[in-house]
Amino acid sequence: MLAVDVKNIKKTFTSKQDTVEAVKDVSFQVEQGEIFGLLGPNGAGKSTTILMLTTLLSITKGSASILGIDVETQDKQVREKIGVALQDTGIDNLLTGKELFFTTCRLWGYNKSDSEKRTKELLELVGLTEAADRRVKTYSGGMKRRLDLGLSLVHSPEILFLDEPTTGLDPGSRRVLWDEIKRLRDTGVTVILTTQYLEEADELADRIAIIDEGLVVAEGTSDELKASIGGDVITFSFETEGDITKAQQLLTDSVQEKMELRITVEDGASKIPGYLKELTSAGIEVSSVAASKPTLDDVFLEVTGYRLEGADDAVEETPASTRGRGR
Amino acid sequence: MESNRSFLTQLQILTKRLLLRVIRRPLAELPNIFISAFFLFVYDGALGGVFGGSAQGTPFDFANGNFVNFILPVSIVSASVSGGASGIYLVEDIESGVFKRYQSMPISKWAIILAPMLVGALRVLLQAGLIMVIGKIIGADPAVGAVGYFMVLSIAFLWGMGFAGYSVAAGVRSGSSQGAQAASFLFFPALFLAPTFVPREALRGWLATASAYNPTTYVIESMRAIMVDGWITDVISKGYIAAGSFAAITLTFAVISAGKATEKA
Ligand SMILES: Nc1ncnc2c1ncn2[C@@H]1O[C@H](COP(=O)(O)OP(=O)(O)OP(=O)(O)O)[C@@H](O)[C@H]1O
Ligand SMILES: [Mg+2]
Repeated sequence: MLAVDVKNIKKTFTSKQDTVEAVKDVSFQVEQGEIFGLLGPNGAGKSTTILMLTTLLSITKGSASILGIDVETQDKQVREKIGVALQDTGIDNLLTGKELFFTTCRLWGYNKSDSEKRTKELLELVGLTEAADRRVKTYSGGMKRRLDLGLSLVHSPEILFLDEPTTGLDPGSRRVLWDEIKRLRDTGVTVILTTQYLEEADELADRIAIIDEGLVVAEGTSDELKASIGGDVITFSFETEGDITKAQQLLTDSVQEKMELRITVEDGASKIPGYLKELTSAGIEVSSVAASKPTLDDVFLEVTGYRLEGADDAVEETPASTRGRGR
Repeated sequence: MESNRSFLTQLQILTKRLLLRVIRRPLAELPNIFISAFFLFVYDGALGGVFGGSAQGTPFDFANGNFVNFILPVSIVSASVSGGASGIYLVEDIESGVFKRYQSMPISKWAIILAPMLVGALRVLLQAGLIMVIGKIIGADPAVGAVGYFMVLSIAFLWGMGFAGYSVAAGVRSGSSQGAQAASFLFFPALFLAPTFVPREALRGWLATASAYNPTTYVIESMRAIMVDGWITDVISKGYIAAGSFAAITLTFAVISAGKATEKA
């Protein structure tokens, strides 16, 4: 049975002022026991998709099921099966980590002594035993994310939804969370996570769906997506604007980015000498050239027509939509 | 696991959690308690000398010789406004996202909404009870006997639940804690457009008219009957009716608003 089966879901928000098509048409399937990544920039519709699948928003059109249970009509049963950590973490700052775990265990139906046991286990699992008796207010961003993850695991859910679990964390904290998520996958938990980080999708997700402006624009394993571009990427760097402009006239299929031109060709390395000869004989000075396998970044550029910026400097929280392109 | 997940268990767990939050912010309890106790001391100090024992035999002897009995209801009514915290508790959880987390779990939404109301109710009982203890220490003595304390407390409870309902409705409708806080603004005109310092017969002109339409009037008068005059059943029952209707109306309004606000968008 599929862990998650999403068929052409759509979400329209209507208010007095206007209507927003937050999710236009999203479909994907997730097998049990895999990590599925929804990769997209700010405003792509990731959170809206997650909220629909976790029964917190109604689905305007289309259908979705979790382990064969329909999300719209059987929301109570779905909630039993899923663990959810939302993007705006709902954490009670005045309580201690231990109190939060205990309360959540009790709400899931554990009796007092089992709740105490489970609290201890989970604090250990997410590495918060030391901080257990401190109020959550004093936790760092990374600790809060781990707490949030832990709280979503209380009832040992089969399916876990994580909306941007590592946004805003430093590389070290991200890696800690990645390891935890992988460990969960290895125990059989299915994980659906959203991210705006290419590296995270590449490293963590078994399969990826790229989502942009409410649509799934590509889907597959990281390798499949990279292979779909076909061939290698050759990157030429130049010193002057003049050289770039002239080179562009020769390399008609190239994509410019800052002082670089990129082209995608079969068997890139063997073609470099030919290109260089052509460019130098036209009087263009090439400062460097390299051939490489396509990255997820290149895939993103190919399917959306722009780059997912800020992807490689995860530490600073950059809203991609304010950079590069207007929406 | 299912069996432990009854509505009442959930309500109990959620209420406990809110109580923990209240305990962690003890200072938040002080302003209302302080204002209520302040009323008691200041009015007794300022007016008790004139309208208390020395007024006996004069036309101003409406306090029956014990001004603390007469003014205590004003403080109690003021203390019962603390029920308005219910809406604030609920909106805080909506704003912090805690509410959403609970919604993603198999928890009754009514348990989520009722818990802050229960804590509001408890707050009313504790604050009004504390004021009553202070009143007793400085000389209050209900005309109907010791049962009068429970009667006054029960009216205060209904009245406080009215504010709880009002604040929850205002809070979920506005979606902000300011909206919930507005509940206490309603209280000031309500408390003073009433026979706060003297009996209604002594009020004049527009204030006499306004106070006749103000439910606070009947609540204060009924508590006063209990404290000052004894078993005047029609006056006492009017207080129960006024407070009970206020609570019934605002709680209905709260349930409808909360139900709507928690529907899936
Ligand atoms: N309740 C709502 N009412 C109106 N519009 C909404 C609502 N929720 C989301 N939107 C809009 O829908 C679009 C998608 O939002 P969503 O939060 O799903 O994006 P996202 O991919 O999660 O972005 P981010 O990376 O910033 O979290 C945005 O344009 C957003 O403004
Ligand atoms: Mg989001």
